[in-house]
Amino acid sequence: MRTVLIGGGSHSAYFAINAVREIDPYGRLVVIEFTSEKVDVLSRMFPFAELIRLDIDEVDSYVRSNSSIIDVVITATESDALNLRYCKMSKENAIPIIISIINNPLNAKIFADEGITYVINPYDFIHRELAEILEADVNILYRFHKTDILLASIKISKDALLHYLRKEIGKSHDLSAIFVSKTGEVTNSIDKVGLGWKAYLIGTRLTVEQILKNVRWL
Amino acid sequence: MDVSVIFPSKNRECYIKRAVKTAFKAKHVTEVIVVDGGSRDRTIELAKRMGAKVIVQSDLTYPGKGIAMRDGAYLSRGDVLVYLDVDIRNLTPDFVEKLTEPIINGEAEFVKGCFERAAGRVTELVAKPLLRMFYPKLARFKQPLSGEIAGLRKLFYKVNFERGWGVDVGLLIDFYKLGVRIVERDIGYKDHDMKPLYALTDMAYEVATAILKRAVKDHIIDAQWAERYLKDVKKLDFGEFEEGFA
Repeated sequence: MRTVLIGGGSHSAYFAINAVREIDPYGRLVVIEFTSEKVDVLSRMFPFAELIRLDIDEVDSYVRSNSSIIDVVITATESDALNLRYCKMSKENAIPIIISIINNPLNAKIFADEGITYVINPYDFIHRELAEILEADVNILYRFHKTDILLASIKISKDALLHYLRKEIGKSHDLSAIFVSKTGEVTNSIDKVGLGWKAYLIGTRLTVEQILKNVRWL
Repeated sequence: MDVSVIFPSKNRECYIKRAVKTAFKAKHVTEVIVVDGGSRDRTIELAKRMGAKVIVQSDLTYPGKGIAMRDGAYLSRGDVLVYLDVDIRNLTPDFVEKLTEPIINGEAEFVKGCFERAAGRVTELVAKPLLRMFYPKLARFKQPLSGEIAGLRKLFYKVNFERGWGVDVGLLIDFYKLGVRIVERDIGYKDHDMKPLYALTDMAYEVATAILKRAVKDHIIDAQWAERYLKDVKKLDFGEFEEGFA
């Protein structure tokens, strides 16, 4: 896989470069940076990557001329304006996978509106983590990007909720669940579950979302 | 030549619609960009509806006018960039055209707008005296802090933007040092809100810092002197008084 990461000097780029290396150790990773000082530092930090210094305007022509051999473009600059510009340009050049690591969560929708499918929002986990630690009634733990699968947790705090889950899990073919008690006991059988347990559901987005919606009304 | 008009804005729903619409009417304008500082009103929605490209600034806190201007330059595709305040009540396409004309005609690469009113208090009492001391050739500008500017897009990628209010004078000095052809162009009467006096302290501080920083970098001010005295200024600014000061 040939991956081009634009904006090597940001904090998120540091994690992204290491992640790409781990996921695809034999792939080719090109990191584009704008200042020669950062290129020097990055080439020492990441000897496995190919570091290129380009001006802001030169990135477009680099991607355009190499578009047939680029599999993935990751934009990770410190400016979402620049990230958006490079994502749109990569889309125009038919790059198969375009990922943007954004700086400001408020920009996520703007990227989505421009048809950028894979937007990584580094602040996304805050709500999820807080909901898990503070034991929210329902928590969406993960939305899988490439499949229509959703992972969520539900605190079983009422009998009505337990009955409802028993009914739903019994009849659904696109849903699986495991249950964890307060003492850490784990089971996949809802018959052994009582009040105070937590259900972890994994299933198609539609099914899980419908359950979460109904649970909120119970 | 294609022109991109950039409006840094925050909570300006009452001005944004008209500003974007007017900018699109100017000659050569192909895109209007609104760089939003995290508005909580309908600024973003209205700007998009009027066909502007919108980006929210890259920090969760409002990082300042300079970063908004930088982000606008990054997102733009036009050959010429025009920066305008969004709250100009009498904005007409003429404002844009007067700023871009010298660039399109090849007379200049960067245009500083000035307007028919006395220059502001920070301009007269801070910017002009400091420019006269350290960059006398720039002291001839009537309004060196004017935010109504136009320039070739590629130029904006060669300089570092100050984060806050020092950005306008910073760009002027940096372009001057790069040997860019600069002209000042009268854009007529500008009707907009003046800042109250108390709000000018931070602005004056940032403008002074932008000029002094460059004077130190250009060896016009002795670096050791600046290290000693400007640090003291900063200490006072944050209220870190030395023992026995009072």
